[in-house]
Amino acid sequence: MGKRLLCRVQDIAERELRECQTDDGLKLVVANAGGGEFFGFQASCPHQEVPLCEGVFDGATLTCHMHLWQWDVRSGAPLGIAEAPLQKYALTREGDALYVESTGSALEAAALFSGLRSETLKALERLGKREEFAEGATIYEVGDPAEDFFVLESGRVEFLIGRGERTRLAGFRLGKGELFGWNALLENQPHRIARATCRERSSVLRLNGRQVLKVLESDTASGYVVMRRLADLIARYLAGDAPRS
Amino acid sequence: MRVQVNARNRGYDFDARPGEKLLHAGLRSGIDLPYECSTGTCGTCKATLVSGRVTDAWREAPGKKYLKPGTAELLMCQCVAEEPVMLEVPKFVHPMDPGTCAPQANAGTLRRARRLTSDVIAFTLALDAPCDFDAGQFVLLAPVGVSGFRAYSMCNFARGARELEFVVKRKPEGRFSDWLFSAEREGERLQVFGPLGKAVFDPALRKNILCIAGGSGLAGMMSILARAAAEGYFERQSGWLYFGVRALRDAFFLEELGAYARRFAGKLGITLALSEEDVPASAQREHPQFAFARGLVHEVAKREMAGKYQGLRAYVAGPPPAVDAAIRMLLLDARLTTDNIRYDKYS
Repeated sequence: MGKRLLCRVQDIAERELRECQTDDGLKLVVANAGGGEFFGFQASCPHQEVPLCEGVFDGATLTCHMHLWQWDVRSGAPLGIAEAPLQKYALTREGDALYVESTGSALEAAALFSGLRSETLKALERLGKREEFAEGATIYEVGDPAEDFFVLESGRVEFLIGRGERTRLAGFRLGKGELFGWNALLENQPHRIARATCRERSSVLRLNGRQVLKVLESDTASGYVVMRRLADLIARYLAGDAPRS
Repeated sequence: MRVQVNARNRGYDFDARPGEKLLHAGLRSGIDLPYECSTGTCGTCKATLVSGRVTDAWREAPGKKYLKPGTAELLMCQCVAEEPVMLEVPKFVHPMDPGTCAPQANAGTLRRARRLTSDVIAFTLALDAPCDFDAGQFVLLAPVGVSGFRAYSMCNFARGARELEFVVKRKPEGRFSDWLFSAEREGERLQVFGPLGKAVFDPALRKNILCIAGGSGLAGMMSILARAAAEGYFERQSGWLYFGVRALRDAFFLEELGAYARRFAGKLGITLALSEEDVPASAQREHPQFAFARGLVHEVAKREMAGKYQGLRAYVAGPPPAVDAAIRMLLLDARLTTDNIRYDKYS
């Protein structure tokens, strides 16, 4: 997907939010931060799908009016009580027109990777292999080698913990850009601890953990951000409040 | 009946009683499932049925316009499990905060309904079983035999409460308010579910408090003031209450508020904001314990609270547009952090 027209700069007053849509149906909330700076994000709140254009914006912090989740408008990073970042879309301006250039790739939407240097993100995207799974297909089993991790592009994946009679559903649902099999990014975690099965036809990006770590070593600033987010994911997992895959 | 809910962040298992709405069963089990109206209108409690069978208590619920046609989406506030079911909720769902009073199904008898203004009635509900709640919380009420709950905040505060006090404003097409206003209801039975809501006040807070209430949103503030007064909160902290009504004749509980204002003079400031009439010349003379101002309640509060936002927790209640305007003011003008803005949107 190439560059698509989003809106005209005069459509959005300073320190205002507006929902805009491209011809091919991509909906974004656009924030005018003043001084000619515009930022584009996913149109609805990652918490409970409330339209973000109804939110409150002071030029720096975007607040969803429903439960007061907040984000830094420059990065989409969560602030305060917010538990997930906003997917940010790179905007370009030509004259009074704002364009979005996103590829719409799941990697860009992945909380773990959002806001990384664009060269690094591109290098990671080159590592990703797109795979399609039919309904009922198993992506991995308990005990399988954990060399790769996955970013969900579409569909639905279910996780079973335990073996044989003693299995139970991990019981969480992944959205676009969410990561599973993340122990491939850890040392000394060579095996899967759950079975991942597709509940419907699903498309995933498969990335090799070692290769990703190598890319991150070449851009340690980005690597540091990713590792901090991974540590946060694991902390939430230990607290029983994050995907256990 | 076993219910599993798969949310974005994790899964939950709980049991639903025969006939119990999925939403109520989850809330009763301490799971903070998403909802706002819990009465079939807002669509916030939508979920996808993955497996199992449910019955839908209200097929024409207006909230169904938020469901995608041709999918297995349903409203948890309207559906009952007929066999073990699995649901998907595409949202972040957390357990309720520890120490929260767990909501329960209860029932009670309506007593002492009295008209406070032309369109506001107060009544007492004598509960079958005592109930713990926090100041600022609400419950869902429905007359026995009338389907569809409506949310109302308690005006009183007591631990192990045997009685709950409510105010109900007459609303166009409000099922509960029509029922209440249309006949003498002394002795009628009501179903109760609750308590619910996070806009709670606890004296351990030790911050100054600002209450902004529009119309019947005053109910929860009365509960907060009752608790604060009972525990000597205003000996150390200050409080401000801004009560917004269209005209002075729409205001209620002025005697109770006046008693608080006199008792905590200098520590608790109470201002009546009149949005649709100039302050009558007689108002100040008849109610010397209050301040009066013309304007929307959040604008009046904004004008008069400037410079007093340090160490402050704000509570907001009222009609949704008034709540939204007050939240906007508290974020953008008062620069309060989000953890110091408390409200529940349920109207």
